[in-house]
Amino acid sequence: MRITAPASGGASGTPLVRLANIDKHFGGTYALRNVSLALKAGEIHAVVGENGAGKSTLIKIMVGAYARSAGELFWKGLPLRVSGPRDMLALGIYAVNQEMLLCPHLTVAENLFLGCEAGRYGLLRARDMERQAQAILDDLGFSIDSRNLLFDLSIGQRQLVAIARAAIYQSELVIFDEPTAYLSRSEADLLFTLIRRFRKEGRAIVYISHRMEEIFELADRVSVLRDGQLLSTRPIQETTPNALIAEMAARPIGDIHHKESVAIGETLLEIEGLSGPGFDNISMTVKGGEIVGLFGLVGSGRSEFVRSVFGRTSASAGTIRRGGKSVRIRRESDAIEAGMALIPESRRYEGLCLQLDVGSNISLANLPALSRFGVIDTVEEQRRARQWMSRLKVAANSEAMTVGRLSGGNQQKVVIAKWLEHGADIFIFDEPTVGVDVAAKAEIYKTIAQLLQKGAGVIIISSYLPEVYDLADSLHVFREGRQVAQFAHKQVGHDVILAKAIGA
Amino acid sequence: MSQVVTASGLGDRISSLRVSLRKLTLFLLLAILWLALTMATETFWGASNITNLFRQTALMSILAIGQTLVIITAGIDLSVGAMVGLSSVLVSLMMKAGMPIPAAVLLTLSFGFLVGLYHGIAIRRFGIPPFIITLASLSILTGLGLLITDGATISGLPKEFTGFARGAFLGVPNLFWVVVLVGIPIYVLLRHTRWGRYIFAVGSSPEAARLSGVNVDRTFYLVYALSSTLAALVGVLTASRISIGLATTGMGWELQSIAASVIGGASLFGAVGGVIGSLLGAMSLTTIANGANLLNVNPYIQQMVTGFLIVFIVYFDQSRRRSQ
Repeated sequence: MRITAPASGGASGTPLVRLANIDKHFGGTYALRNVSLALKAGEIHAVVGENGAGKSTLIKIMVGAYARSAGELFWKGLPLRVSGPRDMLALGIYAVNQEMLLCPHLTVAENLFLGCEAGRYGLLRARDMERQAQAILDDLGFSIDSRNLLFDLSIGQRQLVAIARAAIYQSELVIFDEPTAYLSRSEADLLFTLIRRFRKEGRAIVYISHRMEEIFELADRVSVLRDGQLLSTRPIQETTPNALIAEMAARPIGDIHHKESVAIGETLLEIEGLSGPGFDNISMTVKGGEIVGLFGLVGSGRSEFVRSVFGRTSASAGTIRRGGKSVRIRRESDAIEAGMALIPESRRYEGLCLQLDVGSNISLANLPALSRFGVIDTVEEQRRARQWMSRLKVAANSEAMTVGRLSGGNQQKVVIAKWLEHGADIFIFDEPTVGVDVAAKAEIYKTIAQLLQKGAGVIIISSYLPEVYDLADSLHVFREGRQVAQFAHKQVGHDVILAKAIGA
Repeated sequence: MSQVVTASGLGDRISSLRVSLRKLTLFLLLAILWLALTMATETFWGASNITNLFRQTALMSILAIGQTLVIITAGIDLSVGAMVGLSSVLVSLMMKAGMPIPAAVLLTLSFGFLVGLYHGIAIRRFGIPPFIITLASLSILTGLGLLITDGATISGLPKEFTGFARGAFLGVPNLFWVVVLVGIPIYVLLRHTRWGRYIFAVGSSPEAARLSGVNVDRTFYLVYALSSTLAALVGVLTASRISIGLATTGMGWELQSIAASVIGGASLFGAVGGVIGSLLGAMSLTTIANGANLLNVNPYIQQMVTGFLIVFIVYFDQSRRRSQ
């Protein structure tokens, strides 16, 4: 099954992997543009960049999950023609993913050997694999029993198992994508020892992390990505954490959207000292015509906070006031009753009933008002649906069209129409523009502007800083479940905000 | 952009045309089947056989309607056959004990309702999958029926009771009137009330429904309670039709009701299905059974034909949906 790697490219100076002028675009949107990068054996190469800068795309191209749109990939100096994930794995490129692609119901040994099981006559040699797996785990210094179900391990231990697979594959290039996100300090130390050992064994390592202290502890060189472009590659000694953050964040102003000024109205929502699972002591107010931005890296607690405000989880302390009056929100229907609307990140699964038509989706939250004795006034329902569709410019043949057949931007508008139909005046957007193209993005921003003009208050959660930076009237920065800073519109630069979120 | 929203709703008409196209296909299939059977046998189009066909269809139709409600929520109810058997036993025992007929029937239906509620609560509160909880009930209800009757049949039911299923009103069998009495309200429920809309919404995306303020739990309770209650009703009607209570009388009917529902266009992935489709599905199954009987076809072959029909119809439907 192992395909032979091209013969070593001679001189020891030849990089193990070289990316030359790599482009990757999805439709008209560039995820990577003209990226060139050389990875040397025996070197730890850190890659930094904001969310959406193109790091994940870069990894996916290196492991063969994406085909590059243009450019060349060289392996030991020779151009690479193979491209599928299996080929890349066989060649010696392995990525430890953020979402660990392991099977929780199999044992550690079974997971380690998944896809490359040792067998004889088609029967598995389970004992041999267990023994080998244990030998590898022991050798790496991981105290994990190879016979345990993955299910029974901690998240950190599972991550270590995923890392141990690199040893099984004897990979020459090992890519780590935020490997310490779920690790305890001691597990992280174990990982760092292992990474240094990999370097000593002559493997090349790509290390992606938001944590500056880790990068400066481990890396030999560091590259900065921004908006799909590789800005610089330099030895780690020649830079500082602050310089890196400034480079990640620097961007011509006015990239996204100039918010039209809307008169800020009365206070709609006041949250005071709210605590709950994953967030602690959060306070903020939302006024009519105002956008409140919540920025933080993945796992910073901003999504958990918003879920609690909307009644998904119950808060353990704090108060929520609506128009001056204290409200208790124990479930979603309480929040909806209070005039709040949540437009979730995965609108395809959480925001819409895809098999139902546009009209039914728009009316879904407002059916009690549209029906008498439970019987829906369908004529009125369809009339109102059409009204919202034309106001928000939903591109659909009619209100009877199945929502699943609309484009992402139009689906987003249907979700918004549902809440307008219900009469909500506080709109919570969770990552509103994830996975939509540029044109749809512009449409969504325009729709948000319309909401503000109607006097609604808007909360936007985003891990894409330029978005909240340009849109938000007030910006709250989250880190590790706490509200670490609050800024007025463009009060400070991107770099300051990013530094707060990263904690550098 | 203004051209994109057409008030005339051309797409509306096209999509409703598509829905009826599928029913039309099934209806045509049924018509062809009837025509063929009329020509092939002397007895098929006889008054007594047609009446009989409608009686047979009636019971399966009511079960299929209940099953369809559950299937629209992407669930399944495997307990309905067992519920038929047990409720035929319960209603018979109560009448034999001297209870007035209406009281016995009402109590039996209430029992069905409670079992359905229990299914809903077990699914939503205890997190037991629909397949498992209703499979368990299939076993429990059958066992309970056999236990209290010791496996025997209960006969000697009141004449007024057994007369109902054989009777007719305005020349139409009473059993068929029951289908009308069940079918119309449930049709209205599904298509014209908000609770019906919630059933579809929950079947499409429970998460989106919940975030829209829909009480997902209550929607589940409703469909499972209705399914079980309708199964209990079928049990009562069966007892009336065959004049006995028998714990094993509905064995395998759960699978037939699922088949009828699916043939009628319900999707096991949820959010698709309806009353008319269920009726057509039940009618197709009964016609095949009836025709095979008249033609003296081996009943084993008849079972196989039903199976192939399911594969054919669902495959046909899937490929049509994919091409859209």
